[in-house]
Amino acid sequence: MKAQGVLLEERRNFIHHKGSCGGNTIQCDTESVSGAVSQRACVYCGARVVLNPITDAFHIVHGPIGCASYTWDIRGSLSSGAEWYRNSFSTDLTEQDVIFGGEKRLWEALEEVARAHAPKVIFVYATCIVGVIGDDVRAVCKKAEEKFGIRVIPVMAPGFAGHKAIGYRMACNAIMELISKAPAGRKRRKGVNILGDFNLAGEMWIIKNYLEEMGIEVVSKITGDASCDELMHAPEASLNIVQCAGSMTYLAKRMEEDMGIPYIKVSFFGLEDTAQSLLNIAQALGDGEAESRAHLLIARETHELKDLIQKSKEALSGKRAAIYVGGGFKAISLIKQFREIGMETVVVGTQTGKKEDYDIIHLLVNEGTVVLDDANPAELEHFIKEKQAHILVGGVKERPLAYKLGVAFLDHNHERRHPLAGFVGIKNFIKEINLSVNSPVWQYVR
Amino acid sequence: MRAKLKNLTVNPCKMCMPMGAVHAFYGIARCMTLLHGSQGCSTYIRRHMATHYNEPVDIASSALTEEGTVYGGEKNLIKGIRNLCQLYDPDVIGIATTCLSETIGEDIDRIIKNYRTQYPESRVTLIPVTTGGYMGTQYEGYYRTLYSIVKHVEMNPEKHNGINIITGMLSPSDVRALKDILALFPLEYILLPDASENLDGGYETEYRRLPEKGTTLAQIARMGGARLTIELSLFNTPEYSPGEYLKEKYGVPLVRLSPPVGLRDTDAFIKYLSENSGCSVPERLKHERSRYLDAMIDSHKFNAEGRAVIFGEPDFVYSMGRLCCENGLLPVVCATGTSSPKLKELLSLEVGKAANALVAEDFELLDETDFEQIEMLALKHRANLLIGSSDGRRIEEKQGIPLIRCAFPIHDRVGGQRVTTLGYTGSLNILDSFTNTLLHIKEGSYRKTLYQTYYRPVKEVKQQATEKHPCFSCSGARQYARIHLPVAPDCNIQCKYCVRKFDCPNESRPGVTTQVLSPQQALERFLEVKKKLGNLTVVGIAGPGDALADFEKTRETLRLIREHDPDITFCLSTNGLALPQYVDELVALGVTHVTITINAVDPEIASKIYSHVTMMGMRYSGMAGAAMLVSNQLTGLKLLASRGIVCKVNCVVLQGINDHHIETVVEKVKSLGASVTNIMQLIPVKGSAFEHMEMLSAKAINAIRKKCEAILPQMYHCKQCRADAVGLLGEDRSLEFNEAKENAKAPGEKQGLRFAIATKSGLIVDQHFGKVDEFLIYEYSEGRVSFIERRNIDQYCMGAGACDDQEDKMTRIFNALTDCEGVIALRIGVAPQRKLEERGIQAYTTYDRIEEAIKKIAREMMGEEAV
Repeated sequence: MKAQGVLLEERRNFIHHKGSCGGNTIQCDTESVSGAVSQRACVYCGARVVLNPITDAFHIVHGPIGCASYTWDIRGSLSSGAEWYRNSFSTDLTEQDVIFGGEKRLWEALEEVARAHAPKVIFVYATCIVGVIGDDVRAVCKKAEEKFGIRVIPVMAPGFAGHKAIGYRMACNAIMELISKAPAGRKRRKGVNILGDFNLAGEMWIIKNYLEEMGIEVVSKITGDASCDELMHAPEASLNIVQCAGSMTYLAKRMEEDMGIPYIKVSFFGLEDTAQSLLNIAQALGDGEAESRAHLLIARETHELKDLIQKSKEALSGKRAAIYVGGGFKAISLIKQFREIGMETVVVGTQTGKKEDYDIIHLLVNEGTVVLDDANPAELEHFIKEKQAHILVGGVKERPLAYKLGVAFLDHNHERRHPLAGFVGIKNFIKEINLSVNSPVWQYVR
Repeated sequence: MRAKLKNLTVNPCKMCMPMGAVHAFYGIARCMTLLHGSQGCSTYIRRHMATHYNEPVDIASSALTEEGTVYGGEKNLIKGIRNLCQLYDPDVIGIATTCLSETIGEDIDRIIKNYRTQYPESRVTLIPVTTGGYMGTQYEGYYRTLYSIVKHVEMNPEKHNGINIITGMLSPSDVRALKDILALFPLEYILLPDASENLDGGYETEYRRLPEKGTTLAQIARMGGARLTIELSLFNTPEYSPGEYLKEKYGVPLVRLSPPVGLRDTDAFIKYLSENSGCSVPERLKHERSRYLDAMIDSHKFNAEGRAVIFGEPDFVYSMGRLCCENGLLPVVCATGTSSPKLKELLSLEVGKAANALVAEDFELLDETDFEQIEMLALKHRANLLIGSSDGRRIEEKQGIPLIRCAFPIHDRVGGQRVTTLGYTGSLNILDSFTNTLLHIKEGSYRKTLYQTYYRPVKEVKQQATEKHPCFSCSGARQYARIHLPVAPDCNIQCKYCVRKFDCPNESRPGVTTQVLSPQQALERFLEVKKKLGNLTVVGIAGPGDALADFEKTRETLRLIREHDPDITFCLSTNGLALPQYVDELVALGVTHVTITINAVDPEIASKIYSHVTMMGMRYSGMAGAAMLVSNQLTGLKLLASRGIVCKVNCVVLQGINDHHIETVVEKVKSLGASVTNIMQLIPVKGSAFEHMEMLSAKAINAIRKKCEAILPQMYHCKQCRADAVGLLGEDRSLEFNEAKENAKAPGEKQGLRFAIATKSGLIVDQHFGKVDEFLIYEYSEGRVSFIERRNIDQYCMGAGACDDQEDKMTRIFNALTDCEGVIALRIGVAPQRKLEERGIQAYTTYDRIEEAIKKIAREMMGEEAV
């Protein structure tokens, strides 16, 4: 067998070894390299991830069947109300439509949905070929809004127009388009919007419970367990808290500019981050009472976790972790979380991290740690082996690779069924790590 | 049920062409796939395959960008090939196009040529295939790719004795099962493709990222020289059939067979192999066959109860359909997302025969369908088994129909790569899973089903009590009197049709005279009434709030009365919120009849009816409150019924909210042991959230009752009594016994203006004059409105036989209303109005609360008189 090359020359700048001196020099936030088997998805995927949790919206994918088929109800966002978002609607374009244009098909679909279901909002995702064949999706949506009196919002998400993060931006624009038309409501002095939590395994509910315990009202959940009506109240909040910074900072900025709502970034992954975030929210609101309640809450929850963290340190201390996740903020939180239980991060990468994220990562990790942007399976394989990681944190695509390498795995993606946010998330995090890292099966393969 | 959307594919039962391409290439040794398009296609397909196969699935993308889309993707594609070679060192790269590259018109052949020119040293075989996502499904994409493979691999047409076997998208385990069968015959064969290892690898100390196993290029090159091709698919079109290509180009004879699934198709395949190889059927296969046959017989009775929905690719649907049919398990719906008229044609014979044999009704065969359609038909045909991929999970979850996951993709279970359906053993394996699922349903439910269908709780005393209970028995209604004791003023829920300052409109008609009695006063009232009414059989507590909201008072009242009367029947009505808590106490107190008002069994619907509920001092609103209420109602009902208490369920029909849900409520409460339901009209109370809700016509209500009668006996004679009602139904004598009676004037002693009110609800002027058979007579005097009496117009008939037709009804009405100044009705015809006026009785029409209407009209009359 010929030796297989591990690193592509043009990928070198995307991989960074933290050395004893010198700063972060990683290249990031650019297009994927052709043929490199990127783990990234496309613009459409980014847009769909962000908007999909809006439970009572109709998400219509304008394009051939694939895009709708592969995104049908695959994510773990939970709903306390409507279930429409768990369906997949597609105009299912055919060869004929590609030749003659798909506008008519889209129009008829919108007309039918408006008549049959009269949803409050329809999102129309324009996929790869829609722009190429010349459909004017914006015009069709506009006409439908006028005719049917419901919101029909185009999401321009052709897959080739950049990577996933561009899709986030398209989704944020769509949300802005929706909420900027909201009738003016009463400003809520102690009301916040939660941005960038998608209610995976009920995480939005967990966070909301904390805030309510602190006496803070959650005005609008964006977008985990959101409903159209609730979103329309978003402009009434006096603070935006941004959990998934990668996807939603852009929306927070736009809301700050257009609506004067300030924002802070938060993270509910890990003890330090969760505690600090709760305090920051109270302080950002200038709410002394909320702050003292937060202190009580943190003290209570921390006390409850003390034994578990101590025990887990004994079980996990010295184990090495590899992280490959979607956004920079999540990676940063994970590095800290591993540190809290005595584990070292030896490989860390993201699909869509930004320069500022990598700067922080660079500061956090130990010398010798490998930092990767838009990694491919060959690189992950190489560095997991080289750094002798015990566990990989990633999404489902990476799971079989970890297992083939005889390495434990933690799901930290949209399909998981276990909450990892908040204090209860710390318990699950430790449990998930431990049950995989210390599983008896590894005895037989090493 | 809502109609199927015509212009949208809802929940697709198909994937796109590149998915099929990737699967085909995965069966080729040392092959990587490169999708020419944007990055998402490869990522989505990888995700889909990784969760099914639990194997690393590496698929490259040319990662087309905006620039590539505008100026062509040649640069990207060539770079992609280079990078793939460097990272994986494959022998073959399959280049599959996508929606995007097809739409922008990429010329892959030309790009490959340019690659060859630029990199003459590269020895990788490049196989392009046209798989634009909109050109068909993964099924066509798969065969197009196999076709491209045989077309692009340089053939060595030298004849040899081997045969080609071409399969559809089989699971790795099924490929191994096929190879096991083939190995039993002295045959040399080339299997295309063979993903049995690449998509189901073992754990190795050394991980190899390139799929090494599968059909090699050298093997493929010999396909042109084979003596025969067997294509195991009946539905692949000749246009993209690799077998057809080999036949035309190299003269290799082609035989098409169905995949060896089920008895008949496995027989046919094995018979063919046996004849072709000149070798008799091996003993092992004979044994396997006889075991499968034995199992078919053993489980045929269980299978006959199956009503399957089969969905997936045409070959899969056909194989499973045949397997079900030969086992007497009727496939009521066979569906594929691919266009395949031939599948429908072949299955219509097959399933038609099976349906006939089972004396069964219809079945459906669908192509180009989606899961919205499949779900509707599954319900329509009362399916009890879903057979297909995990894409059926939403139907399983929503409709509770179990799903056998045995086709790609399976996201929510492990072992997708190990699903085995091929050969006798595979067929037996899958048949067992069908049978066992059917048995699971049956064993888990038959006791309950039979109990609920046939067991009637008969308790002599209660039976008798029920017959004498006016609210539970129609005959009882005419003979036996009851007393409602108003001892329970509190309520623990807020119905949107109720205003708490009045009595509860569920069970009682609000009246201005209701007083709340203490338990001691209630006892006195009871003793007094009992003295006067010899036919008093029932003591009920119906509010004016909820009998269980302040249970102390209810308990004390019943205890006191029981001390004085050991025989009287106790009955109470409740919204059910507090029921589970008090069931034991109610039984101990000797309560034998309970009425529960259940307007919905779906919390979502209930949340539209109740604004909040109060439990243990906490107020819950919205879904949480509704869910709590519904859950307690149903639990309470079940507990009561299990203790032998006769339960009536009242259900208020609310137009646009629960009017389509009533049957579901009746079915549910029946299953929990209710013995009668009382479907009632809404009384729109002024000031309540439903104040302006339109009421259903009596006809519509009766239509609902008629429908529900098929499920459970219905109460047609409800009078929606007040909380302090006394006497026979419809003949309230409470005024006689209320303490206010000193102030009430005796009927006849007229003091002011009298009005006859046409009312159904007793609350509101809500009846058409022509529909009246009784009037409520009120008197207006010095600004006060007081109820005088109820007048049944039949009692004003002047002679036997004289009162039959409409004309004489008018006469009776005139006789009944001689002392009245006015009639107030919802509507009145011109002729009767004139006739009333001729007799000096003014007719007024309004829709208003009775008292309000009278006050307004009386003041108007007085004003007129003053002028």
